[in-house]
Amino acid sequence: MIKLRFSRRVFLAGATALSVLTCGSTAALAAAPADTIVIAKPADPQSLDPAVTMDNNDWTITYPVYQRLMKYETEDGKGLTSVTGDLAESWEASEDGLTWTFKLRDGQKFDDGSAVDAEAVKFSFDRLFRIGQGPSEALPGGVEVTVVDPMTVSFKLSETYAPFLYALANNGAAIVNPKVAEQSDDDGKAYLASNTAGSGAYRLASWERGQTVTLEPNPHYGGDKPAIDKMRIIIIGEASARRLQLEAGDVDIAEALPEDQLEALEGKDGIAVQNYPSLRVTYLYMNNQKAPLDNPDVRRAISYAVDYEGLIAGILNGNGKQMHGPIPDGMWGRDESVIQYSRDIDKAKELLANADAEGAEITFLYSDADPNWEPIAIATQANLAEIGLNLKLEKLANATMRERFDTGDFGMATGNWTPDFADPYMFTSYWFDSDRHGLAGNRSWYTNAQVDELLREAALSSDQAEREKLYAEVQKFVTDEAAYVYLFQKDYRIAMRDNVEGFVFNPMLLDIYNIAGMSK
Amino acid sequence: MQYLNVIRKRLLFLALVVIGVSMITFAISHLIPGDPAMLVAGDRATPEIVERIREDMGLNKPLPEQYWIYLKGIVSGDLGTSLRTRRPVTEDLKLYFPATLELAFVALVLATAVGVPLGVASAVWRDKPIDHLVRALAVTGISTPAFWLGLLLIVLFYGDLGLLPGGGRIDPDITRPPTVTGFLLIDALLAGDLTAFTSAVRHIILPALTLGFVHLGVVARQIRSAMMEELQQDYVRTARANGLSRRNVIFREALPNALIPSVTVLGLALGDLLYGAVLTETVFAWPGMGAYVVNSIQALDFPAVMGFTVVVSFAYVLVNLAVDLLYMVIDPRIRSVN
Repeated sequence: MIKLRFSRRVFLAGATALSVLTCGSTAALAAAPADTIVIAKPADPQSLDPAVTMDNNDWTITYPVYQRLMKYETEDGKGLTSVTGDLAESWEASEDGLTWTFKLRDGQKFDDGSAVDAEAVKFSFDRLFRIGQGPSEALPGGVEVTVVDPMTVSFKLSETYAPFLYALANNGAAIVNPKVAEQSDDDGKAYLASNTAGSGAYRLASWERGQTVTLEPNPHYGGDKPAIDKMRIIIIGEASARRLQLEAGDVDIAEALPEDQLEALEGKDGIAVQNYPSLRVTYLYMNNQKAPLDNPDVRRAISYAVDYEGLIAGILNGNGKQMHGPIPDGMWGRDESVIQYSRDIDKAKELLANADAEGAEITFLYSDADPNWEPIAIATQANLAEIGLNLKLEKLANATMRERFDTGDFGMATGNWTPDFADPYMFTSYWFDSDRHGLAGNRSWYTNAQVDELLREAALSSDQAEREKLYAEVQKFVTDEAAYVYLFQKDYRIAMRDNVEGFVFNPMLLDIYNIAGMSK
Repeated sequence: MQYLNVIRKRLLFLALVVIGVSMITFAISHLIPGDPAMLVAGDRATPEIVERIREDMGLNKPLPEQYWIYLKGIVSGDLGTSLRTRRPVTEDLKLYFPATLELAFVALVLATAVGVPLGVASAVWRDKPIDHLVRALAVTGISTPAFWLGLLLIVLFYGDLGLLPGGGRIDPDITRPPTVTGFLLIDALLAGDLTAFTSAVRHIILPALTLGFVHLGVVARQIRSAMMEELQQDYVRTARANGLSRRNVIFREALPNALIPSVTVLGLALGDLLYGAVLTETVFAWPGMGAYVVNSIQALDFPAVMGFTVVVSFAYVLVNLAVDLLYMVIDPRIRSVN
């Protein structure tokens, strides 16, 4: 037998490694500094260009960096869906509702010190329409922006558009420093994808891709100096790792934790798990053009067969509520006198027998873009089996699934919807207008000439009471004809350190933080 | 001269591999359903917007033309633009690849540094407790999912003990050393920045352990069987009979011979580590290729996925070439055959 001895050199190397391992061990547990808010996100932002990005994950950065003509109101620490002026000091509409004139607030400056004026507003909207990607969709086509004087700008619409003011608070309506056009010759697109040029309270300080994004105060900001000096986003893909860092105090806010992690965090020292009612709804598309779903009785039968309470209790741990028609609770225009389906197997079977559709097979698409979709798919499959419908589940890559929506090559599918602006238009014109079949919003391929008419009338009217009446009519049709399966409104749940103060949740601004008003 | 021949042959092979791989990935990514233009357009885009984007991206051109454009791009180092990050794929790869390579190298060094002595010990003390322990360790290493081990290590060393950071590559409050190689450890040393270096070391320990653990077992088993074979050879007995100490026989005579087949295993391991880093990177928020590729796959970002595949295949062939050259250096028999 030989003896293998540790040489002195090996011993020294080990000791050195050990000291590196433990030195600064206090730093690993040091809480995030008091003037910094640290947010843990599951994924890196993609594009920071407000004319391009359609993703709330990017808006976390762009929203506090840019200002818009309008902003959402806050009352007693509660975020409202109504809007008020942000860069706009005052505004008025012409009598025909086609021309809107905005007077800009004085003293608002971009982060390079140049003034936010009418030219900048015109540049931003012209650029938005030139680029013509998703964000431009929130505004009607054919808008003409004119500089009236240096601080006055007017918008000429080709037809009245009721949600106009609301659409101006949307992320895509950000006012961008016209100097970006000098940064890259593609309208500043390449530059703005990874830089910012706004007049908000903050600006981008650095972006280490896949690791951290840091915002710092805009030195020329026209409003009050914010209490928080730095907003840092760190990218942590794994939910358990985000939770651990929150518990250790290295992170102040942890996004997108699954229900079981939130459950485990509740009541822990130093952690506050917040629940907010949101406008994010989960629903099932039913292809109204495809047998047997082209028969309203089959769609009604499905709507009676789904176990809404079971889904909310089992998948959301009770943190949500069943939808009542298409318009969620918290949005004006909702009519609760319409039918709300609840589980009634006998009725479902009867309807299915009337339609002579027992034993039919329906393709059901879902993806893993939302972890809840798979359990929903499996539960629905079991629910519908009880009434004699056979769901064939197909799990796809999200992009592939979206293409199938657009071509109408599916029976049923899961979907989520969040409004871009606070108007029932988002839950009606998008969902039911036959002009928007497919990916554009009418994912059930629902077609009803009367509904089309009502919707188009409502979109043109600027009288809110009148619009409410029209939308009530629409809701009757689309619930009675069971255009979709209206599942649930999911609470927005977020875990923070309990010393974070001043956060205002706004259902229109998911994953967006009012950092300028926060402290800790 | 022989070296040059091998290199020349391999480089020719490399060109063939790149053409083959690019053709296959291009075909697959264009045959699977899913329209990238729709993806770029966002959730509520009208058909007109989608059509315009399709034109901008050149997706309306015939497939052979699209492939030709792509192949020309590869040759000039242009792998197209990522649909997701909207940046040149080459730029993205330059950013994320070094992080993965660094992690894979450190993991490989750890696996070798621990695996080789364990393998030797296990062969020398065959069927003794140490041998059983190494075998158990090898099986555990191969069968432990990286994400599970990683989380366990984070809970222990970060959550409970507070000894090591819970993720990332470097403390975000530390100014990074200027990028020279893209390897943070080396860049920090080059800049003489000890704070950054220490932070980088502390950040790489847990992910490298997690990633290396799987291969530790493989290396130990490989060395064990090679060593056992060598120890039964006549020259070992002769050397012992001639009065060489057992330690000298093991380390000077048997081990170098046992290492030759292991070089192949290590070369292959490096390739595995590049791919295998995906899960480890996710758990440790390591900004490498892993998260980038997974996100790209989910988003059907085919330029990014193709770029990754081409570059990794390239790296794989290069590693194999390096292994063959190393073979020739350490084993004179192979040199003479070539």
